[in-house]
Amino acid sequence: MDKKLKETILNPILKGNPITVLILGICSSLAVTVQLKGALVMAISVTLVTGLSSLVCSLLRNSIPMRVRIIVQLVVVAMMVILVDQVLKAGEGTYAIDKQLSVYIGLIITNCIVMGRIEAFALGNKPIPSLLDGLANGVGYGLILIIVAFFRELLGSGTLFGLRVLPAAYVPNNLVILPPFALILLGCIIWAHRAWDKDLQEK
Amino acid sequence: MNTNSNAYTVIYTTLVVVVVAAVLAFTAMKLKPSQSANAKAETLRQMMSAAGIKSTDELYATKNADVLQLYADNIEQAYTIGLDGEQNGTLSTELKNIELVDNLKPQNKAIKENTGVTLPVYVFKSGVAVMPIYGAGLWGPIWGYVAFQPDHYTIAGAYFDHESETPGLGAKIKDEAWFREKFIGKKVEWGAEPAFKLEKNVEATGAENAVDAITGATMTSKGLNEALNVWFKAYEKHFGLGAFFGMLEEHEITNEEEE
Repeated sequence: MDKKLKETILNPILKGNPITVLILGICSSLAVTVQLKGALVMAISVTLVTGLSSLVCSLLRNSIPMRVRIIVQLVVVAMMVILVDQVLKAGEGTYAIDKQLSVYIGLIITNCIVMGRIEAFALGNKPIPSLLDGLANGVGYGLILIIVAFFRELLGSGTLFGLRVLPAAYVPNNLVILPPFALILLGCIIWAHRAWDKDLQEK
Repeated sequence: MNTNSNAYTVIYTTLVVVVVAAVLAFTAMKLKPSQSANAKAETLRQMMSAAGIKSTDELYATKNADVLQLYADNIEQAYTIGLDGEQNGTLSTELKNIELVDNLKPQNKAIKENTGVTLPVYVFKSGVAVMPIYGAGLWGPIWGYVAFQPDHYTIAGAYFDHESETPGLGAKIKDEAWFREKFIGKKVEWGAEPAFKLEKNVEATGAENAVDAITGATMTSKGLNEALNVWFKAYEKHFGLGAFFGMLEEHEITNEEEE
């Protein structure tokens, strides 16, 4: 049991990473990774939404009428997303970031990771493992987001978390700020990940 | 129990929706005060950035409470005007009655339909008068504040914001300090058609009532141009008249000097 739980937590972060292995959640990883601050807030938001939605859906799993289960899951996820958005809007420090992330917070609901984990895991497992699975998938997603944002902010603006790191003489690379570069970077991360973990390579 | 019967499904889904609605309504109610405090401070930051009270970066690094205090310290008076340019109401400068950005949308509609408008004017102690603008960008609404020097035709500063313009292109109206800085010192030509222009090659022609549009953001620039001109037109009788007398005075002074 303990080993299984450990697997539940570690698998989504490494071997079964939602972005680099399952290729889910690509859209938002292109959109919100221009700055580390936004990426971090997005990562935390997605982690909370996947974790809590999985928990709630797992609690309901025996009572949900099978014919309408997707709709019920969608309602639960939508509620979590709205809650996160409302809380971000209410915080003094997070208000500006929420405005900057604009539609992407609301679009967490369409993030395949959330519904995917509920369908694949939460509906067949107990609440605690489901919560951990949801959180771990969010962390796996967030990790990649933060790696991408680190390079994009460093090379695209010369800053990290808004603080200047590279000397003022550094001319920011405009390509890095545009979404295509995120895709290139993501490709490189997938490449590195597969080179490091031989199990992921197709024979 | 049969969880697949019709009656069960209907009752179950109804219950889920009612519970979710209750949770959301409760949180929305609880968080409303702090959300509107944030929105209020945001409006003031944009307004004071345009008026040049402090730099945009400084204002965004300032806490909400200090932003309110800064506004209270600097505001002289605030009132509303109609399309005839006459004052038709006063706005309380008390902090609880700040006009939010949300109020600009119905005013924009009222301008276009020529129904009773109450357009806000904010006069700061430095003599700078601030007016809002509102219009449609490419993907959603855009709005902003334009501040005038006491002569009522030289622009003292501007700030623009948007809901969902393209990052890296249209979003530059907000993100890039150089864009709003270009407005400083430009002169609105009241009564002219159009009173102000966003176009290309302004630096080459040296036009006083024009600013370079943003390359690659044609639709956002067009939208901003339209928003500026619709609102300048609405404020024309108010600011235009004052500016006319101001110019007259200026000419008299120069004439005297010549003699």
